[in-house]
Amino acid sequence: MKHPIQILIADKSGEHIFASVTNHLLVLRASDGKLIGSWVDPVDAQEFQEKRFKARMEEQKKKEEANEDENAAKKLKNNKKEPKVPAPGPGAPTIYNYIRSLTLSRDESYLIGTTDSDKAAVIFKIDYSQDNCLSLVKRQVFPKRPCSVLTTLDDEKVVVADKFGDVYEIQGKDSAVVAEKDLVPILGHVSMLSEVIVAEHDGKQFVLTGDRDEHIKVSHYPKSYVVRNWLFGHHEFVSCLQICPFNEDILVSGGGDDYLLVWNWWEKKELAKVELRELVAPFLTDSHLPPERFFREDSPREICISKVRVYEQGDQKLLVVLCENTKCILTFSFNEDMSLTHKQTLSTTDSIIDFVIVSDAVLAAVDVESEDNLLQLFRFDDSCSLHHEDSDLTKVISKSVECEVSGRADFYPLYYISSLRKRSEH
Amino acid sequence: MLIAHRTAYLLSHRLCQIYRINPTSNMSLDSDKEAQIRHQRESELKRKAYRDMKEETRKVLKHARIETPTPEPDAVGLPRKRFYRQRAHSNPFSDHRLDYPQEPSCMEWQKLYPHYFDETTGTMSKNVEIADIGCGYGGLLIQLATAFPEKLSLGMEIRVQVTQYVEDRIIALREQNKDAEQYQNVAVLRGNAMKFTPNFFFKGQLSKMFFCFPDPHFKQRKHKARIITSTLLSEYAYVLREGGIIYTITDVEDLHKWMAKHLEEHPLFERKSVEWEKNDKCVQLMMNSTEEGQKVERNKGSKYVACFERLPTPEDCD
Repeated sequence: MKHPIQILIADKSGEHIFASVTNHLLVLRASDGKLIGSWVDPVDAQEFQEKRFKARMEEQKKKEEANEDENAAKKLKNNKKEPKVPAPGPGAPTIYNYIRSLTLSRDESYLIGTTDSDKAAVIFKIDYSQDNCLSLVKRQVFPKRPCSVLTTLDDEKVVVADKFGDVYEIQGKDSAVVAEKDLVPILGHVSMLSEVIVAEHDGKQFVLTGDRDEHIKVSHYPKSYVVRNWLFGHHEFVSCLQICPFNEDILVSGGGDDYLLVWNWWEKKELAKVELRELVAPFLTDSHLPPERFFREDSPREICISKVRVYEQGDQKLLVVLCENTKCILTFSFNEDMSLTHKQTLSTTDSIIDFVIVSDAVLAAVDVESEDNLLQLFRFDDSCSLHHEDSDLTKVISKSVECEVSGRADFYPLYYISSLRKRSEH
Repeated sequence: MLIAHRTAYLLSHRLCQIYRINPTSNMSLDSDKEAQIRHQRESELKRKAYRDMKEETRKVLKHARIETPTPEPDAVGLPRKRFYRQRAHSNPFSDHRLDYPQEPSCMEWQKLYPHYFDETTGTMSKNVEIADIGCGYGGLLIQLATAFPEKLSLGMEIRVQVTQYVEDRIIALREQNKDAEQYQNVAVLRGNAMKFTPNFFFKGQLSKMFFCFPDPHFKQRKHKARIITSTLLSEYAYVLREGGIIYTITDVEDLHKWMAKHLEEHPLFERKSVEWEKNDKCVQLMMNSTEEGQKVERNKGSKYVACFERLPTPEDCD
């Protein structure tokens, strides 16, 4: 059985699909599903920790040797045993060697991922004339786990947001790696960040950051020390931000609330609120209940929005919405005033992990225990309704996935957005 | 005072050690420890009872206007600090159960400053202009009430009991100075200023922000928990008006250097001169009125002050 696909993205033309399965990256041609590029992350989290620890000890030893005389007395006292390489305790959360996020540069010549194993951003040059179109440019390690990346308008810089609330910028195209201690955040939240976006208005750039509190912050860029404003409207964590390609002042945000918000982020105005509870309710299961520790009789099943994307066909503009661990895709159509009207609830046979819009279709990675088909394809018809389509593409792509597992128990966590929800105790 | 300091730290540390003693370890030691633990529980119960009593008074008086009938005289005596003591440290990253407005316009300031609420228009006649971040037991905040009688000052404190103390203190002072209508212009609330400052204040609303004797967070890996960091300064700059002042004071030289360095490096702040500090009345207040300041004085420690002005926002940033 194969491990499900965890992340799917595609280029604007819809010719190439990029997918991640555990620590594997795949690049596929959309026309026939042929594998044209791949990469496997060689770094193991535990090994990395040990290496880092040993390097640190070495350094310390060197330092000590350098001023041996001064410390001689001290050393006698302290130097009883060699420090052990720290191993994670029994209660420690497992660190998975997977790719947490995947993005293309604006000119689509670079692919940027973030890894959990060594808390790094990995940047690849894409060259379709090569046998393997991916070549690693650099691997930049950060002090805390990065979770979202995007390039600046000119693709020169990569803006990286981490789980400690800090945002960094690094050079996007050269292979120079900055030492961890020389990295200085360009802005930050006192809360875990979930998404970062670089947006444009009138040729000026802005960084939009969403966090685990309910904040969306808009900062100027590159003068990121000037906060422009906050967008207040969420009561729970923010997990996805999406700028509308047809009007870059329009932002859609969602997270742990029962609703999506549509903003004109430039004018600092909330334009619409889209309630999802009624639409999603039939698809919520007991897995959407709070963890046992926090469960009460009246606890509702919780909605977490995991992805929103915009689809355009003619003058029809659609918002495609996925709630975490549900067997449905919702679509809404944009009205003139940017309010949204529910268009379709497409119910699927399996829970959807991630989806991507490729030309006139939605390609979805599904949560299945399957040997040969990890994807489903839904095509938009002329009236913008989605219909399931049996396609060889999904099978061809699935064939390229090489991550064999013995069962569901070996799956990496497929749904982790719900864990962002705050459950305060004191 | 944000969260103070080494003496308190040592004390709380000792308490922790006492609680963690393994009861099966040593019999003779055992009864001793048990007695100690029992004693501590008893005193905690006593403190709790006192706070509960005060809470009742608070409920009656908190939202009361100035005309409400005087309650029992002993109920509005100044609260006694020893019943409210709390561990000096609080983790700013944890998900505390906090009350904060969804955005500044949702804040019901009339609950904190009923005297400045115009019932006919339903609006506040004044807005908060001075914030004491980590006001601790409120020494400075109380002084600000009379030093700036025409301005509203707000204390923010993350520790529940300490906030209750300041609340009770303000209630008592308002009651005692009813005729002069004093202390109506100060209030305190429990909050995490590092996370939620922008939920309370509009852009450029504040003219002064105080950071008095903040938690030093000595360990390097804890530096992000410090109240002054380059990334947080951008948020403080947002709520401060141009020309507004950030005041910092600490008795920890390392922390002072760290705060001054980060403020100096921030493009939106400029250090005020020593001469300016000498002539500024807030610096004097900050040196002498805070509980921490007085403690440092008693212990003959040093106090380090640094004040910074909020510079104009660059022109190309609307």
